[in-house]
Amino acid sequence: MIDPITVEVIGSALFSIVEEMGEALIRASYSTNIKERRDCSTALFDTGGKTLCQAEHIPVHLGSFLDLIPHIIKRHPIADIQAGDVFCGNDAYEGGGTHLPDIVLAEPVFFDGAIIAWAVNLAHHADFADRGHAHIYQEGLRIPPIRLYRAGVLQQDIQALILLNCQVPRERISDFRAQMAANRLGVQRLQGLCMKYGRETVLGAGAALQDYAERKMRAGIAAIPDGTYRFADRYDCPEIDGELDLSCEIAVMGDSMHLHFEAPTQVRAGLNMTMTALLSTVYYAVKAIADPTILPNAGLARPLTVSAPSGTIVNCTHPAAVNGRLSLCQRVVDLIFGALAPAVPDKVTAASNGACFSITFAGRQPGDNALWVYLETIGGGSGARFNKDGLDGVHVHMTNTSNLPVEALEIEYPLTLMRYELVAGSGGGGQYRGGMAIRRVYRADHDCHVRVDGARILNPPWGLNGGRPGGKASIAASVPLNHGAAMLRAGDWIAVVTGGSGGYGDPALRDAEAAEADRREGRLAAD
Amino acid sequence: MAWRIGVDSGGTFTDVCLFDDRTGSVVVWKVPSTPDDPSRGIAEGVEQGIARVGARPADVGYFGHGTTVATNALIQHRGAKTGLIVTDGFRDLLEIGRQKRPDLYDSQVDKPPILATRDLRIEIPERIRHDGSVEIPLDEAALRAAVRQLRAAGVASVAICFLYGFVAESHEARAAQILAEEFPEAFASISHIVAPEFREFERMSTAVVNAYLGPVMQTYIRRLTGRLGAIGLPVPPHLTQSNGGVIGFDQAARLPVRTVLSGPSTGVIGAREAGRQAGLTELIAFDMGGTSSDVALLSGGECRLASEAVVHGYPIKAPMLDIHTVGAGGGSIAYVDNGGLLKVGPRSAGADPGPVCYGHGATEPTVTDANVVLGTLNPSFLLNGRMAIRRDLAVECVTNLAARLGLETMQTAQGIVSVVTANMARAIRVISVQRGYDPRDYTLVAFGGAGPLHAARLARELDISRILVPVSPGILCAMGLLLTDPRTDLALTRLTLLNEAAAVVLQDAFATLTARAESWFENESIPPDARQIVRTVDMRYAGQNYELPITLPSAPGITALAAAFIAAHQRLYGFAPDDEPIQLVTFRVEVSAIVPKAAFSARPDAGPDASAAIAGRRFVWLPEAGGSVQTPIYDRARLRPGNIVQGPAIVEQMDATTLVLPGMTARVEPYLNLILESAA
Repeated sequence: MIDPITVEVIGSALFSIVEEMGEALIRASYSTNIKERRDCSTALFDTGGKTLCQAEHIPVHLGSFLDLIPHIIKRHPIADIQAGDVFCGNDAYEGGGTHLPDIVLAEPVFFDGAIIAWAVNLAHHADFADRGHAHIYQEGLRIPPIRLYRAGVLQQDIQALILLNCQVPRERISDFRAQMAANRLGVQRLQGLCMKYGRETVLGAGAALQDYAERKMRAGIAAIPDGTYRFADRYDCPEIDGELDLSCEIAVMGDSMHLHFEAPTQVRAGLNMTMTALLSTVYYAVKAIADPTILPNAGLARPLTVSAPSGTIVNCTHPAAVNGRLSLCQRVVDLIFGALAPAVPDKVTAASNGACFSITFAGRQPGDNALWVYLETIGGGSGARFNKDGLDGVHVHMTNTSNLPVEALEIEYPLTLMRYELVAGSGGGGQYRGGMAIRRVYRADHDCHVRVDGARILNPPWGLNGGRPGGKASIAASVPLNHGAAMLRAGDWIAVVTGGSGGYGDPALRDAEAAEADRREGRLAAD
Repeated sequence: MAWRIGVDSGGTFTDVCLFDDRTGSVVVWKVPSTPDDPSRGIAEGVEQGIARVGARPADVGYFGHGTTVATNALIQHRGAKTGLIVTDGFRDLLEIGRQKRPDLYDSQVDKPPILATRDLRIEIPERIRHDGSVEIPLDEAALRAAVRQLRAAGVASVAICFLYGFVAESHEARAAQILAEEFPEAFASISHIVAPEFREFERMSTAVVNAYLGPVMQTYIRRLTGRLGAIGLPVPPHLTQSNGGVIGFDQAARLPVRTVLSGPSTGVIGAREAGRQAGLTELIAFDMGGTSSDVALLSGGECRLASEAVVHGYPIKAPMLDIHTVGAGGGSIAYVDNGGLLKVGPRSAGADPGPVCYGHGATEPTVTDANVVLGTLNPSFLLNGRMAIRRDLAVECVTNLAARLGLETMQTAQGIVSVVTANMARAIRVISVQRGYDPRDYTLVAFGGAGPLHAARLARELDISRILVPVSPGILCAMGLLLTDPRTDLALTRLTLLNEAAAVVLQDAFATLTARAESWFENESIPPDARQIVRTVDMRYAGQNYELPITLPSAPGITALAAAFIAAHQRLYGFAPDDEPIQLVTFRVEVSAIVPKAAFSARPDAGPDASAAIAGRRFVWLPEAGGSVQTPIYDRARLRPGNIVQGPAIVEQMDATTLVLPGMTARVEPYLNLILESAA
């Protein structure tokens, strides 16, 4: 039994390690998606595959790591694993990720001749663009956890195979290098920590931190009134025609919680979620409600059980396509918030923009004809709160990437950003107004393919306690769009408006000064 | 011309540090601050201080000042009503920023208030491309109308930020002209002047913060100049900036955004000078006060300059010493959270009511209370007896906490110290290991009221083997003001591939910057032989987005520059391809002047025997010695150069207490700084 003070002291040191890994990854990478948008995560895992410590960047990445270590062990006898082995994987079904562009690198940490932990990081490689999404085989190269390095030696054959399947291999190779540098640091620092405090103390503190996260999670859940709570909503997105019914039932029993989801059969489109994506979504939502300060390690999962019928869009099975799972994850968070709103009205928000809009351009550079791929995601309204307005123009829930500066985007790609603004009238009315949506208008300066993914084009984000719904999302372009995709010629434009978010409380109760400020600042819909 | 004055104006006290050039003596005069108009307290303090040392105002040869006026206006949102003029389509950029929300999980956290409201942000048709070409000419009529609209709305300040303003200045420059014609009384903040660097949101944010602070700073400086003139000070006052250098008041009034870290940066300068006296250049400055600790790393005697930081929620692109702050101080409150772990800070007991042991009614134990319980802090009084300490109250509150943890009182008090030490170690790792520096190669310079007390444990946590405790750790900031050189930092962004052709760009860029530096020297009346210019280039591999600052090597040419970059990249990231294209991004010059400063004098060696300085003994709880041990207490004022103190020992002085752990030796060096070293 390690005393609570040592646990806290070693916890600080573990956080320093994963943060340092994250800084190294971001600063050394070449691709805009990592270096500016920070679409990556770093973590340390115990030998059982449970998170010891994770740098908090992107909540959905919690799921990418969930099954990774067991999948490695299943494939590679532990006795064969040597120091300097680095495993690389991205598959949603065979360990490594929740969609194929998230490539994970895992390196064992050896101490006194035995594996004591794993240094792991994930980078979203902006590649595999302009592919199909009928099933996962169309979405890119599937990589089971295999050795990219063997005892410190790069496996050229493996790397060559991966790179030939990528559209922008130069970026991939440099991002791999940054990922390697991050894990190397993690390995060295954890070994150093074991040298200083002793291996048993460090690992014991790691286990105690998981217990600690569990205790905090239980305390948070215990504060939610017992009961069974339900909520239903409809999902729509540009990928598919029509709408899909979603529902959840949450049973709060003392300090534990069971969450059950119902959804239609998985579809031939990229919106499906694997169970690991569903789990990370649940962990995010319940942590946000129960206690935002809980450490993001494996302990927080212990009080939670999750179920959903296999083969549905929220628990899909091989070979469902999963590339665009994030928008559905966002809607699952809203379902959980909606269900628990009557129980903890001060802990949830009205519906947020309910999507993670992404826009991917792919083309050839004017000069050397090289392939280029540019991916960005666009935030929107964050739902109003019980005591204040929602946040305008932010990434919500499962994602939190930064946008690329215009002045970097236009230098690197043959694109011009015409407008980047908040959308008047998109924040749902209420005593507290919903957050506003974002509009981005792009002009192609050279021919390219574009594809937009998102949600809430038909269904607006709902308000709470009499709050009004927020604005719906929309996509428009100077050329016809087919399920959000099109070929653009030089001079063509495309405009994306993301969802706003719901208001909270009766609009008639809105403070007169706040209403006047909304009017003066042009935040309301034109009459 | 015998006296130099440094004034550090803080929230509670204004420290006036007076240094006599002839005798080398230092006198510190403390007066209460006057937050409604800080210039009043400063003028009073200076007047009293001068009188106390028996000098006349005409004897003052230098006046340096560190201020929190800009910082406080930013924290308390008491800046000017500000308008913003932007490229058509981008008025909301200031609000949207990079789309990140302020907290990943806590939906109650808000973005910082926007400093220019949406109705005061006006879009103007104009568009410059990244290569400097004009796609849409500036609509001057729309601009005039916008300026009139802002004037009618009653703004005091106007910021102008167009896309690519850092590449081609023409549109911003013309807009500034029109602003001056239509609205001459407005404070103007133009992005290419305030922060001529790429990344539009951060540049815009900087221009807006500068506009927001401008009128506040102008008013303050006008008042202070008037009051100092009325006292009869014959010298032009200087203000410290976030880059650790001083500038004249005029420039400070134009670029107030450069002074937001004025206070902490003077502490770093003080630490550097203390290190210099002891012949040490590789330093980690550790300033632990009541509510927070500021840490900074100095290599070769210089602190790394960050070109950008987020200050109180606002991104600011301005040269700032790379100082990292953590909410850990003597007043940090210890508590047990709902998961059963002991946490310390960032909540602080502040100055009022202060720690429990002050007896002003507080009940939650702080770091100071833990030290009083342990005996590391004097259990009867502080400040040389001017403040009584209630150890009984401290024991009571720590015992209550211990009951909740299931631990003994002493173990819990020691735990509070361990946890706050771990928090500070994390902050030091940010500025050292995360930047590619090994803390074991550095000396920890401990100052601030609580720094010397916690330095020994912090050093052990980080495997640092040497600690320097300056002669007056509590007033090192005010002393730093006497030791600061005039300095400005100029920059220019020109994205350029590093090849033979880059030599021309390199030359042109530095010619432009050098010309600007020369005119700054003239304005600040710096004599030619005191002028110094250091040239650096921010470089990266083509495709990366974070640059490494590389000092222009003494060997000229592109090859040497490339080699310096590759070496730096290798050190920081552990890899550095030598066949990939390298890019030059931002060209910078650090422009400074070596001016005569306070010169402290060395004292003769008095031998190792420190027994004359022993003021008493008390029981101190030292787990390193196995529990409670009878420990000698030394009076710092009686320690002489050459004296050696063996740990365990406590060294007390008016404004700080130094803990020397078992196995450590403290040596008094000729300038009366204490050097603590662990036995190898």
